[in-house]
Amino acid sequence: MTKKDKKINQSQPDLFSLGAKPPEDKRAAKTEKPAHARAAKAQTPAAKDEPRVYSVRQLNAMVKVALESHLPGFIAVVGELSNFKCHSSGHCYFSLKDDASEIACVMWNSAFRKLKFKPVDGMAVILKGKVDVFLASGKYQFYAESIEPQGTGALQLAFEQMVKKLEAAGYFDPAHKKKLPPFATRIGVITSESGAALHDIADSIFTRWPPARLFLYPVPVQGEGAAGAIAAAIDDVNRRQASLRLDVIIVGRGGGSIEDLWAFNEEVVARAIYNSKIPIISAVGHEVDTTISDLVADARAATPTKAAILAVPDGRDVAQRLDSAGRRLTTDAINRLRMGKGQLDTVLAAALFRNPLGPVLASTQALDEVQDRLASVVRRRVGETLARMGGFYEKIIQIEPHRLLGSKTLALAGLENRMITSLSGLHARCGLKLEQAAGRCDTAVKSALNRAAMELTGGANRLEALNPKSVLGRGYSIVRAKKNGQVVTRPEAVEVGDVIVTEFAGEKSIESRVQGK
Amino acid sequence: MTKDENKNELEKVSFEAAIKELTDIVAKIEQGQISLESSLSQYERGMDLIRHCRGILGQAQKRIEKISEQGELKGQ
Repeated sequence: MTKKDKKINQSQPDLFSLGAKPPEDKRAAKTEKPAHARAAKAQTPAAKDEPRVYSVRQLNAMVKVALESHLPGFIAVVGELSNFKCHSSGHCYFSLKDDASEIACVMWNSAFRKLKFKPVDGMAVILKGKVDVFLASGKYQFYAESIEPQGTGALQLAFEQMVKKLEAAGYFDPAHKKKLPPFATRIGVITSESGAALHDIADSIFTRWPPARLFLYPVPVQGEGAAGAIAAAIDDVNRRQASLRLDVIIVGRGGGSIEDLWAFNEEVVARAIYNSKIPIISAVGHEVDTTISDLVADARAATPTKAAILAVPDGRDVAQRLDSAGRRLTTDAINRLRMGKGQLDTVLAAALFRNPLGPVLASTQALDEVQDRLASVVRRRVGETLARMGGFYEKIIQIEPHRLLGSKTLALAGLENRMITSLSGLHARCGLKLEQAAGRCDTAVKSALNRAAMELTGGANRLEALNPKSVLGRGYSIVRAKKNGQVVTRPEAVEVGDVIVTEFAGEKSIESRVQGK
Repeated sequence: MTKDENKNELEKVSFEAAIKELTDIVAKIEQGQISLESSLSQYERGMDLIRHCRGILGQAQKRIEKISEQGELKGQ
């Protein structure tokens, strides 16, 4: 500092030459004496009424002191955020302004981390903190320890921001919501073990659906880490679903302030609910409270009774419907039986069954009638014919046929004799002729036969003469090669060493080997 | 299926499945499209299902069972 002062003095002597004293003296005085002495010296007025001269450092220090003593140590100020930027260190720098002025602000990481909502340029806020002077720059800043949105609460704003964000990300999509099973019996409940909510829900459920089985997964429902615990519980139950076999889960807690309910607005819970494969009913707080978990869940219950109505069926209603089904079944079965019996009765009542022989008897009767008719017709016809014949007989007798017959008989006898005579003569002549014809036939045939026999004998003799085997009888022989049975006519047909067969008359033969040719 | 096999199989049927089967049976018989013999056997099955459902309805435990992180199902 001292050196700096010295330099300034040297470069701008005019600024400091306020009195008649020579520059050298001033310089000497400054180097030799410490700061407070200099200050003291400066305070003592020179003989000629000079104003005080402060250093920058002094001035800044005085400003800081004045501010600290005159301003409250903790101030609230309202304005609009602008140029809100957070450094990588986590500290945030921004300006707060109104229509006429602005002030530079800073918020340390430690305070910023606690914020539930996201500060955005243009937002109207109330900052609480203090003003402080940065000695090095002579600038003053507002050190904000908290930021609150003006008008609405910070949490309310945070809630609204979260709703917008998750809605855009599709977390509230109705198409993603699962249907609740109609007859849920195994129900998971994720809530505080000690709160009133658990027992209210349990009572409502057991009253409405006695067979229900409740499975409690205890979690903290407010405070640090509650959101994480709730989300972890939902995930854990989903992981173990194969053995737990839950039909539906109820996640919730009793009433409270927005702070108390805050865990159910956290993104981690929303994600766990969205990803749950088991349907989830959100039962947080009362009718007036809406939380993010209400919006993401598959169903929302504003009260424990409503949670029961959503989760399980009405036992009384089901019992009634079972009774009615039983009655319907019985009535239907009886009707079906009646119908069958009616059909049977109809069949049995048919004429056929009452009188099975009827058709047979009817046929027999018809047969009898026909027989009677036939007999009477025949009798009538025979009678008529006989009557007609009787009439003819009369007529015939009248023309005396016996007399006619007598004369005719004689004539017939005469004719007969003549016929016999001529027939026998014819027969004799025929017989003779036949004999003659037979004789001639005979002769012709015999001579033909003789001729044929002679020719045959002649032919046989000639054939015999040609038979080579008869030549054999005169001393000739037939030679064949054994290997192929062929007749050997020349020596060239066989080789030395070949076997030959010599055939004599009477089918006799000898074998020999060719020795030479 | 014999009567005993029927009973054992029925015990495993969930309430929801029983109600569904019962609804189908009532509809079938009322439509009248099935034979007399079938309608009688279906009637029997329907009554068995109703008995089973009434049995489930009658089981009231009223206990809250705790499931902890260790994965144990414990009665309270």
